[in-house]
Amino acid sequence: MEDLSLHILDIAENSLEAGARNIEISLSVKRRDDRLILRVRDDGRGMSGEVCEMAKDPFFTTKEVRRVGLGIPLLAQSAEACNGFFSIESQQGKGTVVTAEFQLSHIDRKPLGDIGSTMVVLIGSHPGRDFRITFENDGFSYSFDTRELRTLLDGLPITLPDVLQLIKAEINKAIKLEA
Amino acid sequence: MIKVRDLEARLSLEMKVCGELDTEITGCYISDLLSDVMAHSKEGELWITLQTHPNIVAVAVIKGLACILIPNGRSPEPETVRRAEAERITIFTTSAMVFDIAGRIYGIMKEEGYGVPR
Repeated sequence: MEDLSLHILDIAENSLEAGARNIEISLSVKRRDDRLILRVRDDGRGMSGEVCEMAKDPFFTTKEVRRVGLGIPLLAQSAEACNGFFSIESQQGKGTVVTAEFQLSHIDRKPLGDIGSTMVVLIGSHPGRDFRITFENDGFSYSFDTRELRTLLDGLPITLPDVLQLIKAEINKAIKLEA
Repeated sequence: MIKVRDLEARLSLEMKVCGELDTEITGCYISDLLSDVMAHSKEGELWITLQTHPNIVAVAVIKGLACILIPNGRSPEPETVRRAEAERITIFTTSAMVFDIAGRIYGIMKEEGYGVPR
C-alpha cells in the first residue's frame, strides 16, 4: 500500500464484498488543522459490534476464512503512523463507515496516489454499483457521482473505455493536494 | 543452513520474543512496506523491518517467515510482543543499523552455503 489510492481500493472492495450498492468516498483536507481525512461509507450488510472490533485485528483474517484481508489493519497502521487515527463504525443491515485521519504534513503520510485509476477500476469492474467521490480542499470542493454521469450518458454504458479514460483524467485533475 | 537460534548466538541480538528456534532460515527479506512483504517475501526467510506495529506478526504468520529482526535500536510495541508470544514468532532487536546487521547476516549465511547451488 504505497499510497492512499491503494488503501481506498482495498476498503471499497470490502464494501463491494459486503453487498453495497452505493459507496461514497470522501477526502477532506483541513490545512488550518493540518489534517487529511479519508472516509469510505457504504450501504452493505454491515457488521455486528463484535465482528467490527475483530476487523481491526490482523489475526481475524488469518484464523477465520480470509474474507476481509489485511486491508483494514494496514490502513489503521498507516493512519496511526502519522499522528492520525482510525475508526470503523458499522450497523448490521445499514452499512459501514471507515474513517482514517492523517496529519497532512507528517513526513510518513502516504501520498494520494492515482485516485482516478482506483475509481475507474472500481467502476469498470462493478458497473451495477454506484460510486461517489468528494474532495474538499479548504475552499475548493469537487464531486463525482456515477449516477449523475449515467444521466448524462443517456444510455451509453459507463464502462466504455473512452468514458473510463475521461473519468480518470477528470478525477486526477481535480483531486490533488498541490495548488 | 542456519537456524533461528544460531542468529542469537552469533550476532549477540536481543531476543524480545522466543518462538520456534529450530526453524531453518532460507533467506532474508528487508522491507518496511507490509504489502510489499506480503507480495515478495518467501517462507522461511528472516525479515528485517523498522516497523514495530502488531501487524508485523500477522504478516510473519501468514507468510511463514522464520523470525523478525528490528534494528536501529527500536523496540516492538507491547501488543506486538504479546501477539508474537501467542503465535510463537521470534522477535530479535539490535542497536545495529540495517546495513551493518544485514551485511553480517549475509556473511554468516554465505559461510553456511547460502546462495551456493546445491
